[in-house]
Amino acid sequence: MPRSMRDRRAFLGGLAASTLAPSLSWAEIGAPAALSAARAPDGSFHLAGLRRDGTLAFTLPLPARGHAAAAHPHRAEAVHIARRPGTFAMVIDCAAGTIRHRLAAPKGRHFYGHGAFTADGTTLLTTENDIETGAGRIGIWAVAEGYRRVGDLPSGGIGPHEIIRLPTGGFAVANGGIRTHPETGREKLNLGTMRPNLAILDAHGALQEVTDSTPHQSSLRHIAAGPDGAVLCGYQWQGDIFDAPPMLAIWRDGQLTEIDLGPAVHRRMKAYVGSVAWGAQGWSASAPRGGVIVTAGAAHAMPDGCGLAALAGETLVTDGLGQVHALRGAGLERRGTHALAFDNHLVSI
Amino acid sequence: MRLAALACLLAAPALTPAWADVVSVLDAHILPGHARLAAQTEALAEAARADCAPESLLSAYHDARDAWVQIGHIQFGPLEESGLALAMDFWPDPRGTVPKTIARLTVDADIDLTDPDAFAEVSAAAQGFSALEWMLFTPQARAEEACALTRAIAGGLARKAASLEADWPAFADLMTSAGADGNTRFQSELEAQRALYTALSTGLEFLHDQRLGRPLGTFDRPRPRRAEARRSDRSLRHITLSLGALEELAVLMGGGDIPQTRAAFAEAKARAAELDDPALQGVADPAQRFRVEVLQQAVRAVQVAVIEEVGRPLGISAGFNALDGD
Repeated sequence: MPRSMRDRRAFLGGLAASTLAPSLSWAEIGAPAALSAARAPDGSFHLAGLRRDGTLAFTLPLPARGHAAAAHPHRAEAVHIARRPGTFAMVIDCAAGTIRHRLAAPKGRHFYGHGAFTADGTTLLTTENDIETGAGRIGIWAVAEGYRRVGDLPSGGIGPHEIIRLPTGGFAVANGGIRTHPETGREKLNLGTMRPNLAILDAHGALQEVTDSTPHQSSLRHIAAGPDGAVLCGYQWQGDIFDAPPMLAIWRDGQLTEIDLGPAVHRRMKAYVGSVAWGAQGWSASAPRGGVIVTAGAAHAMPDGCGLAALAGETLVTDGLGQVHALRGAGLERRGTHALAFDNHLVSI
Repeated sequence: MRLAALACLLAAPALTPAWADVVSVLDAHILPGHARLAAQTEALAEAARADCAPESLLSAYHDARDAWVQIGHIQFGPLEESGLALAMDFWPDPRGTVPKTIARLTVDADIDLTDPDAFAEVSAAAQGFSALEWMLFTPQARAEEACALTRAIAGGLARKAASLEADWPAFADLMTSAGADGNTRFQSELEAQRALYTALSTGLEFLHDQRLGRPLGTFDRPRPRRAEARRSDRSLRHITLSLGALEELAVLMGGGDIPQTRAAFAEAKARAAELDDPALQGVADPAQRFRVEVLQQAVRAVQVAVIEEVGRPLGISAGFNALDGD
């Protein structure tokens, strides 16, 4: 038998074995617990499905650098969205690690990298830039119609970044306040006048209220839903980093309460929060420029650490060096290391 | 000729690993650096106990602050775990917190400045070298309180430095036993090497962005009053000392094989040596400013060389999330 045939047969055998998987439950096949975009050593971009034990469940090639995913509330399905000012998104079968649909931002729009599903799973919402006006928009996509674009709504500000579904069924949107235009890349066009806010939308995506009581150069980028309708807010300060206000706050009923971590930890964060997460074990935030992961009671050194995913009882942490850790209580344990640079966000699915 | 070639061979990089040698960095850089800091701050505290007049403390102040600038880039380990970094030196200080805190302390009768435990609890802004500089280089109206505060700061610096020196050997053991059972702080040698690399790259970034970048500001708006330790004419000295200390760290980490890094450090040191502007006040003068900008560019070249020659062998590319996040 020619060698190539033998190889091919072995390869097909491997495939056949893997097609047994759908008859098993997620837990039995070791389904992924979280998704992260990543860069491989050769510079190519991928989407990685990570199991809770830190091993890789799958990787899928991405056409360009990815950013964050949104998990479907019922199906083993997630949408991964391009990093701004990207225009692609892809719907992933999380168990099989395959692509089900590809989405493209409408003409004149680009994605900001985040999205969220409605609680009933019928609709996907994505944060978008209306490029010519700079207005923040929320794109609406009908899931049952193969993710058809059906309309859009105002985000309540400029530069909407992360959108999350709240336990009430409504949504929170982090309007970062910074205007950019694809022609000038990621250049910030309005630092002198920026006005970030946290917008609350109802279950249909309609704007309900806006809270903008933070310092005007505290760009709100990342948010996480906590208990009792609370939202953890993570900021990126656009002024002198040694003159930065607190980089975290908790929103509750229209009021923001800053989190005081003390001057030493505050300074270590270098005025930049990369991701936030909030689970039953409490909240956590990553400060990749400072190389530190903070919780209510601890600060862990983690060079280039950014991705956070709250799972039951623990929070998974990924970094640009390819490591996976788990925050458990006050401790941090290593789960795995991969030849990948994990990108900004790890999203639990 | 032959001998020279042989000498070159013996010194060839093949004998030293291309990755960080954790033990040599500890033995030749971190541990002696902290010993020097402890000795110089103790001498400073002694001098202050003997005579708190600013003019009699100048030489001890300069020696102790030199020792700090030469080791302050080692932010991980005991300094980080004790949260003492800001209490060693509170800079940058864009809001003038140091003078404000000192003004409060010198009139607040509730704090017993002769009690080291009580002083260790006051705001970090009043405890470090910037606070001591303020006491020594600005006129103090209330002589008695100023003397007590000067002694408290000097004594506190010695106390903090002694605790750092005392804590380092145990932390050094954690670094050299990386990967051993039960060592949760460093789970592999690579982690220890990366901690060193982070100290090196962060130190260079601080040099470029803060020590040089703050006074430079922009061409239209230079900020000479933001120069570090300008009251004691030490701004340029900090740059020169940190270049030397970071070069020592880079050379120990990179073994013999970092030619671009060595050349870039040599260039930056030469540029710094040419500047005759101890407090960097020339940043506001277009002709002199140019030379400070050239020095800053030379530091940038060091950063690039270090990424290439020290970071890359450790599998560290420029921070994916840190430098290019969203």
